[in-house]
Amino acid sequence: MAAIAPPAPASNPHSGSKRRGVQPLRAGQGHDFLLRRLHSLTGLLPIGAFLVEHIVSNYEAVNGPLAYAQQVKFLNGLPLVRVLEWAFIFIPLAYHALYGVYIGIRGRSNVNVYPWAGNWGYYAQRITGYIAFVYICYHLYSQRFSGVSLPEHPGAAFHKVQMELQHPLILSAYVIAMVATCWHFAYGIWLFAAKWGITPGNVARKRFGYVCAAVGSGLCVLGLIGMFAFLNPKYANAPDDVMPEQPAGIVLPAPNVAPAGSTNPSQPGEVR
Amino acid sequence: MTERTIKVEVKRQSGPDAKAFTETFEIPYRPNMNITSLLGEIALNPRAINGAESTPITYDSNCLEEICGSCAMLINGKAMMACSALVDKLLGAVEHGQKPDLSKTITLAPLSKFPVVRDLAVDRSVLFENLKAVKAWVPIDGTYDLGAAPRQHPQIQEERYPLSNCISCTICMEVCPQFNDVTGFVGAATIAQTKLFNMDPAGSVLKEERLRALAGDGGIQECGFAQNCVQACPKQLPLTEAISDIGRDVFIQQVKDFFTH
Amino acid sequence: MAAAPRIIVIGGGLAGLSAVIKIAEAGGTVDLFSIVPVKRSHSVCAQGGINAAKDLKGEGDTVLKHFDDTVYGGDFLANQTPVKNMTAQGPAIIDLLDRMGVPFNRTPEGLLDFRRFGGTLYQRTAFAGATTGQQLLYALDEQVRRFESEGKVKKYEGWEFLSAVLDNNGVCRGICAMDLRSMETRTFAADAIIVCTGGNGAIFGKSTNSVVCTGSAQSALYQQGAFYANGEFIQVHPTAIPGEDKLRLMSESARGEGGRVWVPRDKNDKRAAQSIPEPDRWYFLEERYPKYGNLVPRDIATREIFKVVYEDGMGIDGQPMVYLDVSHLAPEKQHKLEGILEIYEKFVGDDPRKVPMKIFPGVHYTMGGLWVDFNQQTNIPGVFAAGEADYSIHGANRLGANSLLSCIYGGFVAGPQAMAYTKNLPAQVGDGGHAAELKRQNEKNSALLNNKGTENPFKIWRELGENMTKHATIVRYNAGLDEADAKIVELLDRYKNVNLSDKSQWANTSFAFTRQLYNMLELARVIVKGARLRDESRGAHYKPEFAERNDERFLKTTKAAFVDGAPSISYEEVDTQYITPRPRVYTSS
Ligand SMILES: Cc1cc2nc3c(=O)[nH]c(=O)nc-3n(C[C@H](O)[C@H](O)[C@H](O)COP(=O)(O)OP(=O)(O)OC[C@H]3O[C@@H](n4cnc5c(N)ncnc54)[C@H](O)[C@@H]3O)c2cc1C
Ligand code: HEM
Ligand code: HEM
Ligand code: SF4
Ligand code: F3S
Ligand code: FES
Repeated sequence: MAAIAPPAPASNPHSGSKRRGVQPLRAGQGHDFLLRRLHSLTGLLPIGAFLVEHIVSNYEAVNGPLAYAQQVKFLNGLPLVRVLEWAFIFIPLAYHALYGVYIGIRGRSNVNVYPWAGNWGYYAQRITGYIAFVYICYHLYSQRFSGVSLPEHPGAAFHKVQMELQHPLILSAYVIAMVATCWHFAYGIWLFAAKWGITPGNVARKRFGYVCAAVGSGLCVLGLIGMFAFLNPKYANAPDDVMPEQPAGIVLPAPNVAPAGSTNPSQPGEVR
Repeated sequence: MTERTIKVEVKRQSGPDAKAFTETFEIPYRPNMNITSLLGEIALNPRAINGAESTPITYDSNCLEEICGSCAMLINGKAMMACSALVDKLLGAVEHGQKPDLSKTITLAPLSKFPVVRDLAVDRSVLFENLKAVKAWVPIDGTYDLGAAPRQHPQIQEERYPLSNCISCTICMEVCPQFNDVTGFVGAATIAQTKLFNMDPAGSVLKEERLRALAGDGGIQECGFAQNCVQACPKQLPLTEAISDIGRDVFIQQVKDFFTH
Repeated sequence: MAAAPRIIVIGGGLAGLSAVIKIAEAGGTVDLFSIVPVKRSHSVCAQGGINAAKDLKGEGDTVLKHFDDTVYGGDFLANQTPVKNMTAQGPAIIDLLDRMGVPFNRTPEGLLDFRRFGGTLYQRTAFAGATTGQQLLYALDEQVRRFESEGKVKKYEGWEFLSAVLDNNGVCRGICAMDLRSMETRTFAADAIIVCTGGNGAIFGKSTNSVVCTGSAQSALYQQGAFYANGEFIQVHPTAIPGEDKLRLMSESARGEGGRVWVPRDKNDKRAAQSIPEPDRWYFLEERYPKYGNLVPRDIATREIFKVVYEDGMGIDGQPMVYLDVSHLAPEKQHKLEGILEIYEKFVGDDPRKVPMKIFPGVHYTMGGLWVDFNQQTNIPGVFAAGEADYSIHGANRLGANSLLSCIYGGFVAGPQAMAYTKNLPAQVGDGGHAAELKRQNEKNSALLNNKGTENPFKIWRELGENMTKHATIVRYNAGLDEADAKIVELLDRYKNVNLSDKSQWANTSFAFTRQLYNMLELARVIVKGARLRDESRGAHYKPEFAERNDERFLKTTKAAFVDGAPSISYEEVDTQYITPRPRVYTSS
């Protein structure tokens, strides 16, 4: 009964000193909105699109070292490829990754107290982002910026990846990263749609969630199949370089037999 | 018959700069108590469990029926309204007639994201500042008799009404991982109010200003869509829907401004 | 007065905010004081709606019919001029609220929807879902926030009004207030003040009111010389949900849809309500009022439930509670009651669709209040009052949904009238009594803090509440009222011995409460004394010993003055110039 106790006062207009706690909205000031939308957009468009392309390309490994080499060669042969690479992959990725870390450390995740689905999603987006961050740094170093230069020696790609995946620790890191990145991307599409007001309603968000889950799992499965193709015993001893640079003046005979099981007519086969 | 009692552990703090400490009270149990009645019981006999003289606990409350928004606090670690938090339920009696487990302890603490005034009372005036920042009002010409307002479809009323139920309890802000000192995020409540006033036929004259305000630092972009707000809101406001809608409107406004300003 | 008038408004409920808006709009500057942030004022609790004769349902409703219903419902005790003015302004007030963005329910054509309430035959009540008071308060709060951001209003939220500052001529020159955080007491200069501090349900311990509805401010002014009028008229709502800390309203519509009120025939019946078979249930309202059954008028239902519990000792488990049962209703009917059933479920934890609700009448509304003239001014020059804190509109009984209207109307009158008053205010001599008042309040504070007594203020309050609820609510007997007064005098005496366990000087809520408690005790005496002397039954005031209305002796406003530390009652004629009093008979519910 005796619950009465006059409420403690709220703000005191006379406590002139700087207010404590979370500060009020800086209405209309600053550029956070732009930077944040850019982060969102980079995640979806250049990087997301690249991820899809990358996973599809890597799937080519299923068809063996030469097929994979052709694929790498094809990509590297695109016009202005270095410009494209920097403009649509490295720079957006660096922005998304660094700003993503910045966003991540500013949040105060609290799934331990409020273990709700959306909150787990929020938390997972940060964790998978960090995983992707570490992984991509390593991956870029090991595949793109060290060892044999693949743009110059596309034929060495299969072997290079194969060697990398030999170590079980590295392999598991690749698997984890693949799952994490696909999760991050799939949930990212969903987040994008929610935040940009494309799916405002609960029903719309739920349905789109299924779509994103399907996209993410599909991508992930594709990526993993592609990855394990490098460990296929059939290609166990893939040559260092299936397209060694030929000394000038020597012309290799054109292959006349397609490799076993190949579905790609333009894929170079063996010379018989 | 010995009196049945329950234990309550309260995180106390005598002032904004004082050190926090916890004090445990043992309170006579009666069925159907809520947290505010339990705090009233402490005021009636302010004595800690070890028999030491204590003081009544400072906390905010007014309506005691979950409509004024005063009494938000952390109950067993979670943000809830003290007046609608039932002791029996907290002690595990989910269904009617089930016996609560009196050996459990209930813990009370102030909201963690707001400056403590004293004990369980915190300063939540930041929400009211935010409402000013987004001009959460209809700018009427005057209060004299200007005749009836324009007609409004019931559908608009049906969409506005739930948003208008916000009791400014700040629970959506407390539970939001993005609402903290570093981000200075406005929180879901203010975004929902922006939608409410943008939807009003007369209130919409300030729509652009509100949308620009929300694009400021600490604005809507800080929402990471954790959706805790919508789960925890005691008034079940459609907060994520509002965030989504306003997110789109703010973006469109920014694009427009980019080309016209 | 040369400079722009300075006006202080105390209280941020509907009445206070209305006054603030009118003053700010007219170019005045306002200091707004409120214990709670204004958005958390008690007005948020109102559910049902707000009355105005807009006649959008083609029923031929008119302002005059609204006027008549109000006066008749108030058993002719209300002065008719302000009631007439209020009802006349009703439609414009609704339009204004609509323009402010209140999400009133709509008809398919986009017009305002109206529902029917007690005490009238017309659909006259505009509503916003089941939270009309909340929506109205927010709309006004938003307007005030707008003026605040324009610098026309300064809010002092978390400040408590302690007293008015009066100069040597008894003219108000400001207020003395306490910051409930730093516990600092200060005086603030003003040319006029408007008191909108709401009702006083806390005097009865538990009520449907909010925690800050203590009547402390009104009592302080009464002790400074203001008349307190019609104090004995307290509305008790028949169906409230008894809670450990408060009584929560259970709307009449539960009975409207077919809810039945009963108790077990055997007072020792320990079975769960659902398992008690029909023959063992006593539907006392249906038995005693075969014609109206559970839908007898509010005051009758209230009295019957009270009798069953206190005179027959038949309350459930010996507690002051009876069953209100909707568990037998068809699901469609239950669905119509969804909103209120959810409140019950939330706070009691039982599902009223399956288990009968436990309800009891609860103190609900304060018809009495500070005496004001037709310009909302009290007898202290410069002190105005509006809203539930004044006595002006509802007479002996308030009609549902009239209070929100009266609050806004009162504020709309008080604001401009206060502005007008300041125009002719002679300049203040000396310090206008500020130093003296500050000293008086500081002395009270230090006396309280240094008291070495043994009494717990919350225990005194609990006893006051029990005493008042027992003797001065639904059924009143002169012997009981005498007993009640003696008890209050005893409590006042024990108050001298009060001991604060918390003597700190920071956000000390029990200190502030203890100060209010004193004022509650003084105001309780006014209520009891007024009831004791009014030997008749009128509206909410019911004495079985004097069961009839007695217009000859008591068609009069009770005016209490604080003389030598006790209420002294005098009577004033009621303005009945428009409608001649006629008997109030309930021919239908
Ligand atoms: C459950 C319930 C339902 C109701 N439903 C309806 C309905 O449907 N229709 C209807 O017309 N009426 C209804 N009423 C009645 C109506 O809600 C009130 O009469 C009305 O809200 C009173 O408004 P007010 O402005 O006078 O005061 P309040 O809203 O009570 O505001 C009082 C203000 O004064 C401040 N204050 C108090 N003391 C001090 C002090 N000492 N110093 C500084 N500030 C102080 C408070 O902080 C608060 O801001 C209902 C009431 C209840 C309890
Ligand atoms: C490299 C390290 C990365 C980090 C640290 C990172 C971090 C983040 C974070 C924190 C968010 C959430 C933003 C928010 O909640 O507001 C996010 C969103 C997103 N990320 Fe990443 N990310 C990384 C890599 C990637 C990659 C590789 C992709 C694409 C495959 C990607 C695609 C997305 C998408 C689509 C979103 C949703 C955009 C949005 O929030 O609106 N991210 N990222
Ligand atoms: C099956 C797993 C993977 C394999 C086999 C693989 C293989 C490779 C190889 C061989 C390269 C070098 C290509 C070149 O230099 O032209 C490369 C580059 C790159 N990979 Fe992966 N990768 C895998 C998964 C991923 C994942 C999950 C990401 C995350 C987004 C990623 C991001 C990148 C990036 C950003 C580059 C540099 C792109 C460029 O050079 O243009 N990779 N990868
Ligand atoms: S949106 Fe909900 S949680 Fe947030 S302040 Fe309003 S009522 Fe509280
Ligand atoms: S919890 Fe916070 S992150 Fe957004 S969806 Fe709700 S505001
Ligand atoms: S006291 Fe009003 S919401 Fe709890």
